[in-house]
Amino acid sequence: MALASGSARLALARPRRLGLGSCGAPRRGAYEWGVRSTRKPEPPPPDRVYEIPGLEPITYAGKMHFMPGLARPVFPPWDPGWTPPKFRRLPPLHEHPLYKDQACYVFHQRCRLLEGVKQALWLTKTKLIEGLPEKVLSLADDPRNHIENQDECVLNVIFHARLWHSTEDIPKRETYCPVIVDSLIQLCKSQILKHPSLARRICAQNNMLSTTWNRGSTLIQVHGSSGAQLNAKDPLPPIASREEVEATKNHVLETFYPISPTVGLQECNVYDVNDDTGFREGYPYPYPHTLYLLESANLRPHRFQPDQLRAKMILFAFGNALAQARLLYGNDTKVLEQPVVVQSVGTDGRVFQFLVLQLNTTDLASDEGVKNLVWLDSDQLLYAHFWCLPVVRRKAVVKQKIYSGKPKCVCEMRNRNCLLECPRIFEVRQCPPNPSSPTLHRRLTYPGKEGRLLKQHKPKSCPAPGTKILPNQLPGIL
Amino acid sequence: MAAARCWRLVLRGPGLSLHTAAGAAVTAPEVTGPDVAAAPVARYPPLVASLTADSKAARQRRVERWQATVHAAKSVDEKLRILTKMQFMKYVVYPQTFALNADRWYQSFTKTVFLSGLPPPPPPAKPDTEPAPALDVAALRAAACDCLLQEHFFLRRKKRVPLYLEREAIASPFLDQLVASLTGLLSARNPALAAAALDCKRPVHFYWLRGEEIIPRGHRKGRVDALRYQINDKPHNQIRISKQLPEFVPLDYSVPVEVPVMNCKPDKLPLFKRQYENTIFIGTKTADPHCYGHTQFHLLPDKLKRERLLKQNCANQIEVVFRANAIASLFAWTGAQAMYQGFWSEADVTRPFVSQGVITDGKYFSFFCYQLNTLALTAQADQNNPRKNICWGTQTTIYAMKWMEKRSNKNPRVRSKSSENEMPDVEYCHVRNKVNSSKKNTGNQFCPSPALQSLHERTSLGHDVDERYTYGLESANDGILLKNLPLQA
Repeated sequence: MALASGSARLALARPRRLGLGSCGAPRRGAYEWGVRSTRKPEPPPPDRVYEIPGLEPITYAGKMHFMPGLARPVFPPWDPGWTPPKFRRLPPLHEHPLYKDQACYVFHQRCRLLEGVKQALWLTKTKLIEGLPEKVLSLADDPRNHIENQDECVLNVIFHARLWHSTEDIPKRETYCPVIVDSLIQLCKSQILKHPSLARRICAQNNMLSTTWNRGSTLIQVHGSSGAQLNAKDPLPPIASREEVEATKNHVLETFYPISPTVGLQECNVYDVNDDTGFREGYPYPYPHTLYLLESANLRPHRFQPDQLRAKMILFAFGNALAQARLLYGNDTKVLEQPVVVQSVGTDGRVFQFLVLQLNTTDLASDEGVKNLVWLDSDQLLYAHFWCLPVVRRKAVVKQKIYSGKPKCVCEMRNRNCLLECPRIFEVRQCPPNPSSPTLHRRLTYPGKEGRLLKQHKPKSCPAPGTKILPNQLPGIL
Repeated sequence: MAAARCWRLVLRGPGLSLHTAAGAAVTAPEVTGPDVAAAPVARYPPLVASLTADSKAARQRRVERWQATVHAAKSVDEKLRILTKMQFMKYVVYPQTFALNADRWYQSFTKTVFLSGLPPPPPPAKPDTEPAPALDVAALRAAACDCLLQEHFFLRRKKRVPLYLEREAIASPFLDQLVASLTGLLSARNPALAAAALDCKRPVHFYWLRGEEIIPRGHRKGRVDALRYQINDKPHNQIRISKQLPEFVPLDYSVPVEVPVMNCKPDKLPLFKRQYENTIFIGTKTADPHCYGHTQFHLLPDKLKRERLLKQNCANQIEVVFRANAIASLFAWTGAQAMYQGFWSEADVTRPFVSQGVITDGKYFSFFCYQLNTLALTAQADQNNPRKNICWGTQTTIYAMKWMEKRSNKNPRVRSKSSENEMPDVEYCHVRNKVNSSKKNTGNQFCPSPALQSLHERTSLGHDVDERYTYGLESANDGILLKNLPLQA
């Protein structure tokens, strides 16, 4: 054997079945995978006795051990009756019990709608009203509902979430986003003395919602868990009066031809049409109150844009409302006598979106008739910026030579003044402060030097992005 | 002779700092009377050991210099930084451990005395304070039952939760919900709880020195070295408040029980050494106004669950697991709270730090109270320190529903669909509403026992008990009752 050359050795090691055709054996010259030392040896060829028809071979199967002279037994292939999960293959989709010919467009929690809020409004036959309803705003403006030291408490919450709650210098969004939402909810719950109905609520997570409705000829489904959800024992009272609801009949839904309204939704043929609120019968807190949708991914591309987040909020709130309505009033499509109201809050830890949705009708197939209503308060900043660390000063030289003795950055002036105005952080800032606004000019003037202004400081020439000059080496909040 | 020497020194080196003090002293003998009487003027520079010599005195002086920098640190952050900046090999103590008799070891590491039962109740309030509203036990029980039922039964999840994920998918949200709802309900009686901060799975770290050893090998072989310990804990939930809880017993209360002394090195536990960052953390940084602890909640991992310990023939270790977890976690938390206030081993606490803990494995609950009386655990500081830390704890008690036991008794491999869809026993659902009205013990598990009735009568007498107590859950032979536990407000 040792004298045989390479190709001859291969030929000897792999005897081919000559003369029986290529059935069962790899074709001549085919590559065989596997390291030669670990390749399973080929099974020995069956005995010649099996080729003689009519002859019953005597095998050593009964003896349970090899016996020279007896034929090698051939056993039927063994079916273990069970496949380990690693090797299990899913049956083809057509054989799935829930397979249906009509495709359904499913909205789940990672669907990004291309047209955002407009598309969500069309899918749910809803009319948009900017700003939260008066009833809700009056609750917030009522001084009796204010928490004592509210500003200080919220500042502490922000500091805790963005700076204090972790041993790291700069906590990541994945940790600070849920912390800030939990702390704010805890702050609201501290008013339980004044509002005992706060005790009639419970928070639930990971419940699977599933509702399906027809929109024209397309079947649309909302499926999945939306994160944390607050359920209450009592339903939310309807916000819009009957007249306002009737007035929505005149509203025309905005279309966005040529974009299909189902773009961004997942098309699938295997789905279950039955509604599911995510909770079984007899649940003591049957009415969904508020949904909390958090965008807490660290990387910006993984987070939803505000428009997409608002669309997701509308669809999940609508899904919850529809499932609840069908549970209460049956599956027939009709205008609801008692509209179902669901609220939603979406955030990425800094920018908050608030939503109140009122489901007026379950007749969603046609575009006419009573529409549902949604009040949307978008892009509310809890704070404009938060800097965790004091930054090594990189002095930017100011234009006027008078101030060259102590070069300072305009940012410092702005920040020093703004730190004094801390309680103002809760006012809505729709856009960053305009550098060319007159208030900034006034602030920058030194006393006694009227008419002389410090150089307009463009944000680009600020020391490194994300960093800021702080006067007192303290973390700053703007 | 000495005076002459002094004069010569002064004449020789007027600029030398060591001598200027003596020179000034000698040249100003005519100081006014009261000054001389107030501060006796030193005639010589202080005789101190060398700083750099290879001697015990020099080492002692270096240690004292380091301790002086800690004492002189202006802020707590600076103090903690000086105490923790040098990294050496230290024992890593795990509160949730499988080690046998870990609670006795942890008691010796932390100088803690374990007393079973709960601390003595506080003295009754003055009569002029307004009585607190009565405790609504039924509402608390209903809220707890709702949390339990929601997670175990009512919530429909995406996929059926496999057995090995049950704890993190069911028990963990249940505990979160329980803490949130009970805190909310009890905050009506306790404004401190209303303003409390609730943390979820935030780390708690503590680093301390206790005892000494002779270094067995290495370039420092034969020298005496302190034993360092570090706890890195992650309680499931914790409540932090801005005002400290009142003490259970006075600071210098002498407990008749002795702290267990272990005659072996901690390596025998088993405990392993590692060198990494020394951190002291209560769950937030020092700037947070909520820097005092109220209660911690811990969820035991699957590795330490009851069935597993019973299979390993370690039935007596079940309680040990709970106790060890409580002692280690609560010591770490209270110690870190004390260090946040500026106390450390050479500046011992002047007021006791008190916290509470609830340890559970999803079904069985244990309640613990911890009072930190001393942080002086190093060999130098512990020489004349009679104070001991005290930990009170209850036995593990069951809080379960009849149908949950029925479920767990079934063969876990064969989990038929019917067991999932069946509603909890109807009598349970209705009994929840009639829990206070049913008087006889019908064998269901929610009938209040006579003990509870008498308890209610006691509390309704308007004791200060109501204001400063909150309730836990305990089982009795005939069912579940809510026992009055002095978990202070």
